[in-house]
Amino acid sequence: MNIVGISACVAGIAHTYIAKKKLIQAGEQAGHKIHIETQGTIGTEDALTPEEIEAADIVVLAVDIQIKGKERFDGKKIVEIPTEVAIHSPTALVKKLEEIAQKE
Amino acid sequence: MMEGVKKMASRKIDGILNERLIDLDLVARNKREAIEGLVDRLYEVGNVTDREDFIKDVFEREKEGVTGIGNHIAIPHGKSDAVKATSIAVGRVKDGIPWESLDREPVRVVILFAVRNADTTNVHLKLLSEVAMALADDDTLKRLLETDDKKEIIHLLSQEMN
Repeated sequence: MNIVGISACVAGIAHTYIAKKKLIQAGEQAGHKIHIETQGTIGTEDALTPEEIEAADIVVLAVDIQIKGKERFDGKKIVEIPTEVAIHSPTALVKKLEEIAQKE
Repeated sequence: MMEGVKKMASRKIDGILNERLIDLDLVARNKREAIEGLVDRLYEVGNVTDREDFIKDVFEREKEGVTGIGNHIAIPHGKSDAVKATSIAVGRVKDGIPWESLDREPVRVVILFAVRNADTTNVHLKLLSEVAMALADDDTLKRLLETDDKKEIIHLLSQEMN
């Protein structure tokens, strides 16, 4: 399936990027296509395109703060968790994304 | 070919981390002593201009959330006027010290991120984010606990840089 998401932590220095990498690793390992945008101190990187969002089966928000552009996901299935869940148990999180994406 | 790639990566990380900022025999019984020990290193090389100010900022950040990322690794960080050059200091203690951690385990490797308040370039922040991404790899975390080679530590932390 197609997963898109955002990671963003309080300081925007470290957790944001660990969470991103962990999500990508776990998502790809489970055979999914995954793209994660980061919103950190440095600004927004790897911004999601409207096409990617359109094609997504599920949206994962690994965020500890208010993020920019949440309205882009209106009408999508969204799973929102703190960055620490993505860092500590990414594989279980991806499983949960699969379950929620499949539910009608 | 691989050698060339490795060398380039390590040159890039030179801007934020070098062997003088790594202490594999850090002596600390608790979080405060570990952070103080690493701040001393940053102060000695001139990257931090005011020890107490920076330590205060790091502990402010500690209040906002857990910095132990599991596997005995912690990544405290502070953004502060007391930082003159954005950089990283790495310390390893022999016996685990108590630390708020995602897996509730004690911490042996502390990677302290010192961020300059008005970093105008973003180049250094980008390097820090690449160090963070390297920490998403469990094998990397394992090697950080094992190796006695500072060059390997630098290489491990720079593997996401290209």
